[in-house]
Amino acid sequence: MPQFFFNKRLIMLLVSIIVLVALIGFSLREREELTWPEQFVKDSTSWVQSVVSRPANYIAGLIENLQDLQNTYQENKELKKRVDDMARLEAKVYSLEKENEELQEILDKKESLADYEPIQAVRIARSPERWNELIIINKGASNGVEKNMAVITAKGLIGKVKSTTPFSATVQLISSIDPTNRISAILQAEKPLYGTIEGYDKKKELLLLKGLPYDAEIEKGQNVVTTGMGGIFPKDLPIGKVVKVVPDQFGLNQTAYIKPEANLYDLEHVMVVKKSMVSVDLEESLEDSEGEEEGN
Amino acid sequence: MIRFLLPALFALLFILESLFVELLPAELFNSDRILVPHFLMAGILFLTAYLSPKHGILYGIIFGLLFDVIYTEIIGIYLFMFPFIAYLFANMMRILQTNILIVSILSILGIALLEVGVYELMLLIKITDLDFSTYVKIRLVPTLILNLAFIILAAYPFKKQFENAADRLKD
Repeated sequence: MPQFFFNKRLIMLLVSIIVLVALIGFSLREREELTWPEQFVKDSTSWVQSVVSRPANYIAGLIENLQDLQNTYQENKELKKRVDDMARLEAKVYSLEKENEELQEILDKKESLADYEPIQAVRIARSPERWNELIIINKGASNGVEKNMAVITAKGLIGKVKSTTPFSATVQLISSIDPTNRISAILQAEKPLYGTIEGYDKKKELLLLKGLPYDAEIEKGQNVVTTGMGGIFPKDLPIGKVVKVVPDQFGLNQTAYIKPEANLYDLEHVMVVKKSMVSVDLEESLEDSEGEEEGN
Repeated sequence: MIRFLLPALFALLFILESLFVELLPAELFNSDRILVPHFLMAGILFLTAYLSPKHGILYGIIFGLLFDVIYTEIIGIYLFMFPFIAYLFANMMRILQTNILIVSILSILGIALLEVGVYELMLLIKITDLDFSTYVKIRLVPTLILNLAFIILAAYPFKKQFENAADRLKD
């Protein structure tokens, strides 16, 4: 009799392993959208989560503010120095922008890859198991958020929309290792260098920019921004700064380590970026040629 | 009303995990150690010990599924790991006596098993490429210390709560 029970248990275990593999396979597959039960569950929990998370964040914010008060004097001094610089920069930006506008008018160029409309959103949850770095935000498909849109903070790119439900969306941060998570980027050296952001060094907390030419001279502190050529992200979203450069495995290319500009920890307010310039032919030709790029 | 106490408690633990990661002080978050809360697993193991294995496994399945759908988007990993560890834990409890110290120690072992199991699965589906020794150093040990602290704080309230629930169930 015990033999029989043992077999029953073994069969249960085997069946559940098969179900596990099937389910993991199902969810790892490229999915256009989540199934409706998933959407329903996510939407209802996102409501509960926002009810809990907003007051909790508010209280934590208050405590943080109190701590900040201690350094106010020091910070104020430093900020005053920067404000002087700001006025000069502002004037410069204004004149440059105006010049840019005029030049574009002459060229009769109305849209640019850099144009986008931001959708403001608030984080309501963050995945506690930190393998896949995900956050959940309170804007969803009904607010115009779509899959694969770029997500930024005031400082720079933080990730892309992984999935949407009617009232919430899940954002995959650039720090998660996902072989399909590639971003086409420019390194702003004297001559712009093109590469792709592929992967993240968890231990050093740096992004990897791969595919740079082996003979390019790259310095520390150079900026890396998006190219806007993948068809998903707009142009010129800041990603980060170069920390160090190493030759790659075969010595044919160089890999740069990039320190993300945006803080991937403090993400209470984020913006989902809706690219303005979407023409039909662009989308179609992209699908043919480089549909895999920029993390489809 | 009192019937909803247990589900509400577990829902709270579920949200608390996410809140914990959100509100973790920046210095801890940005240091090179990764702290992962497994409060839900601790709750499920205590439930298995003090209420019944059946309840523990059932809650493991329900909250494992919720966890997968909402936090990982890969269905199956926690759905399998939570009930599986609750089941092993229940078998261990049959041999040992239900002493709060023994339950706490076994819970920590269960959480370690969960962490390593999930790490192996993540390695298998290439979500991570950490090697095992780095993983132990930057993730497993800090995580276990965090959860040990949580269990020390929560062991007694959990025990009381689940024993009350067991009494209610008998009546």
